[in-house]
Amino acid sequence: MNGNCFEIGTIQAFLDGETAPDLSLKITNHAAACEACAHLLAEAEDESSVVFSILEREFDSLVPTQRLWSRINESIAVEKSHNPFWQKITFALSALIANPSLAVAASVLILFSMFAAVWNLRPDTANDGNRDRAAAASIQRTEQPATLGIISNERENMPQASAAEVYSVKETNISPDKLRKLVTDVSYKEAKSQTGPQFTAVRSSPASVAEYLPGEESYVKTISDLKQNLDGQKDNILNPSSRVAYERDMAVVNDAITKMKEVVRKNPKNQSAKQVLYASYQNKIDLLNSVAEREELMASLK
Amino acid sequence: MYRKGKQFSKIWMLPCFAAVFVTGVFGQSDPPRPQSHPLPVDRSKRPPYTKKFPAIYIRERSTNEKSIAVDPNVEMKICVLEGKLKINGWARDEVRVFVKNGSSITLKVLEKNAAGKPVWLRVTGSTGPGDQPSPRTDCLSGENIELDVPMRASLNLEGRVTETTVDSVKKVAVKNIGGNIFLHNITGGITASTYEGDVTVENSGGQISLVSSTGNIVAFEVSPGQIGDIFRAKTSNGAISLQRVDHRQIEANSISGSVLFNGKFLSGGLYNFKTSNGSIRMTLPVESSFQIIASYGFGSFNSDIPLKTILENVTSGGKSLHGMIGAGDATLNLTTNSGSIGIKKQ
Repeated sequence: MNGNCFEIGTIQAFLDGETAPDLSLKITNHAAACEACAHLLAEAEDESSVVFSILEREFDSLVPTQRLWSRINESIAVEKSHNPFWQKITFALSALIANPSLAVAASVLILFSMFAAVWNLRPDTANDGNRDRAAAASIQRTEQPATLGIISNERENMPQASAAEVYSVKETNISPDKLRKLVTDVSYKEAKSQTGPQFTAVRSSPASVAEYLPGEESYVKTISDLKQNLDGQKDNILNPSSRVAYERDMAVVNDAITKMKEVVRKNPKNQSAKQVLYASYQNKIDLLNSVAEREELMASLK
Repeated sequence: MYRKGKQFSKIWMLPCFAAVFVTGVFGQSDPPRPQSHPLPVDRSKRPPYTKKFPAIYIRERSTNEKSIAVDPNVEMKICVLEGKLKINGWARDEVRVFVKNGSSITLKVLEKNAAGKPVWLRVTGSTGPGDQPSPRTDCLSGENIELDVPMRASLNLEGRVTETTVDSVKKVAVKNIGGNIFLHNITGGITASTYEGDVTVENSGGQISLVSSTGNIVAFEVSPGQIGDIFRAKTSNGAISLQRVDHRQIEANSISGSVLFNGKFLSGGLYNFKTSNGSIRMTLPVESSFQIIASYGFGSFNSDIPLKTILENVTSGGKSLHGMIGAGDATLNLTTNSGSIGIKKQ
């Protein structure tokens, strides 16, 4: 500042909007009272307008300013702070894995974990004390309780009667004898996806029993028994041509049963469809019986 | 110790699985190596399929003949392994057995009447040493096996692969695994079943039951021996053809074959014809009198003889018809799943 007047550099900065608010206020008040500074300010403004008009194209292009850079850096910092934890670990481990010794250690860990998993998922057969308690486990249905029904391997032509229901197992004081009475058949299977043994009991629910027509259940049970006896023996009993004929007839009968069941399901009062359905069941029983009788005859003639 | 070890393993499982996961993620950097294909199998070097069938024990193959005097109402049990079996009734109280190129013959008397004549006789074939039954079988076998038996004899036949013809005896029960069965002039009832073959019955009477698994059943001019005798015919995929069957109760059932009836329905009779997807065809006199109860599922019904419809349901899958022809003296039940039902005039 020369006396009370401002220097041309300060005035230029004022025109560029780069002075602080206090200084800008002082310059404005002073220029209003000082003719020389007002003149200087006017000249500088004229020069600026000339320069700006010449360099207008260059000023229009977007050039990141210092503030913009600082804002960008701030955003990056915030985003970095919000990264998920596992991603950070991934980045860290990726750097570690690059080391060969660490890679060897990781593979040893893999082997050990596989061994531990197999050993841990193994059924607990060695523990006799626990076995007794497991035998006294009560089987509680996850749904409403059901009366015990038939247990059958016959999957086809049984209206949802053989759908397996999974029961949860809890420790209880019920004796194993009582349990045997309660559960007609408990199948044990080792589930790969679960860490412990899984018990499943197969029984027919009241809903499925109710789906049987009067008398249908006995047909289904008879067919199931016959099929169970014949499974795996048909090739020994029937020669190829008879086997083809048998399978063809069985397919015809099964098709008839399926169709008629559908019709009866749609209209349970259709006595005609029921009659055809029962006749088809009887045909199936006769077919199965014929194979069993043939086996008997072959055995008697040996 | 076992439990501690298990807990230890559980503790270690978490970091181990984490390590597995990490290495699984980063282990993808190298592309998997293509698996080498297994060496091609030379199927020509496999042993040929050789299914061993039990050999039939026959000591000698020769032509033999034996005869024995019997009671005229003799009951005979005969087992035939293989061969063409022909049994003929004659007017003598004597049984004669002839085997051509086959096993020897043994006639075993199981029971005699008061006069000392056999009333229960068993005809066996090959015997072991000392005239003992063979360890394998005691059935007859041969190229041709012929028996002459009294006309009032009752026969019980079992066979493996035989073509059986029986003529002019009182009663026959025959069962074989394979081979056709022809029965003529049997007056006192028939039970015949074969698993691979046709059954033909002609000019016979009594209670009749005919079963075939893969063959046809033909009955011609058959009548009941007494009131209440039933005629039954059942086959899986053959046709059942009944002509002039005069039983008051007839049951014919085929799964994939058709049922053909040509005759008349007697007053008070009950006739049940069933097929799964075969057709049911009846040729009847115009003056027939019966009521029809037909369930024909996805099939069809057609009658050339006018009938009075009492109730009809034409819903697909549950089609049914209750109708009447004439006064409705007999009852005809027809059941088919997808076959057609047709009634024609004689």
